[in-house]
Amino acid sequence: MKLEGRHWIFLGLFAAVFIAMALNLGLDVAVSGDTQGMYEFIDTLSPGSTIIVSFDHEASALPEIRPLALAVLRHAFSRNVRVIGTALLAEGTGVGYRLMQQTAREFGKDYGSDWVYLGFKPQYIAAILSMGESFSRTYPEDYLGQVYSDLPLLNDINTYDDIAGVVSVADGSLTTHWIEYAGSRYNVKIAGAVTAAMITTYDPYLASGQMDAMVGGLRGAAEYEKLIKTGGGGERGMLAQTVSHLYVLALIVVGNLAYFLTRRKPKEGRG
Amino acid sequence: MDWGTIIAGLLTLAILTFLYRDNPVYRVAESLLIGVAIGYFLVITWTNTLMDLLFIPLFTDGRLLLILPFVFGLLMFGRFHPATKSLSRLSMAVLIGSGAGVAIPVMLEARTIKQMSATVMPLLASSGMPNWSAIVVMIGVLTTLSYFYFSREHKGTLGHSARIGVYFLMIFFGTTFGYTVMSRMSTFIGRMEFLLTDFLRLTN
Repeated sequence: MKLEGRHWIFLGLFAAVFIAMALNLGLDVAVSGDTQGMYEFIDTLSPGSTIIVSFDHEASALPEIRPLALAVLRHAFSRNVRVIGTALLAEGTGVGYRLMQQTAREFGKDYGSDWVYLGFKPQYIAAILSMGESFSRTYPEDYLGQVYSDLPLLNDINTYDDIAGVVSVADGSLTTHWIEYAGSRYNVKIAGAVTAAMITTYDPYLASGQMDAMVGGLRGAAEYEKLIKTGGGGERGMLAQTVSHLYVLALIVVGNLAYFLTRRKPKEGRG
Repeated sequence: MDWGTIIAGLLTLAILTFLYRDNPVYRVAESLLIGVAIGYFLVITWTNTLMDLLFIPLFTDGRLLLILPFVFGLLMFGRFHPATKSLSRLSMAVLIGSGAGVAIPVMLEARTIKQMSATVMPLLASSGMPNWSAIVVMIGVLTTLSYFYFSREHKGTLGHSARIGVYFLMIFFGTTFGYTVMSRMSTFIGRMEFLLTDFLRLTN
């Protein structure tokens, strides 16, 4: 087994993250304006109002998505906001149901009256537009196969007019479709809980007011957990995240130094 | 420890072996991932699309209008034979036509008009002080647009403006790349947390 340069880099990263996790130290994070905005988005909803939390992500994004979604759901349930779960990507369907079930159990919320999971609907644009016309026609049954009219929460929900806001939990561009089709056409408030890689994609929508709030990445999750005063995956991962970033920065500095030093050598040799 | 955790732990380790080099263990895990993902997608598509939206409403509830999308859907399979290939174009025409019809007005409004109007902000705040955010946005938009103006050679004023535009673009690319690194690190940390805490139980 011969180890090359890149293997040492991987081993170094593994060691850095392992040590950070073994230390298990909480890292105090400053709450950013974006996360504060997302907190206020949920916090200002009146108890009894209904929001949609849409799980528009793939399973591979779970390490980032899970703490974000849990934090938002915990906040919503703690404020007695009713939650309807949907999924515009097939892979997010099972994940979303599990996360909603977990948080609903934590807060003693009843399925059917406090939360409902409608599940996956194909053709996301058609699904978003269709909900604007009629929720019951879009989802005749929920994820568990129960008829729409049998669920008390859904009896009050006909169109987006009955929805206080949509939180799209996404690792890609699906939040854009909520903004463009539900936000622009039906004037429903849109917020995003997105992976760090997608933050720059949604920043222009946040700045223009087309999106009402956004929380992003593991850091965003840690900030949100701080605001709602519960620990979670975000807070636990922050030390490891910081250490790994310092490690990458060190590699960039060392790599550049090595590049400039080795570039000068031929000149010196010729002189 | 439950079987789900053991299988997930072993498969995570199998995928991580790729960091050393490509090997059969990694390829088995990779093939398994692709197979399971496709299988899951097919089942969801069958139950949530074909059954819920077409077969049950058409054949059980008797909504006869659904024959139209059913026939258009079947025509798509015409692509597999040269003699029927042209029939699939009918379905494609409907798909593209309706898709464009729905998307174009929305795109124009949400991606162009609203984004443009968001860049036109007062350069002075109500207190009379400069609104630096608006000034930076305005300079950024104008100089970046000038970089993408290719009808004239980038010399003189246009050249300077395009050069500043490049700096704005570089800042954007750097920020996006930084966030992407952050995202990938988070994924790695999430898997490490699972391996060390749930699977190997080395940390709490």
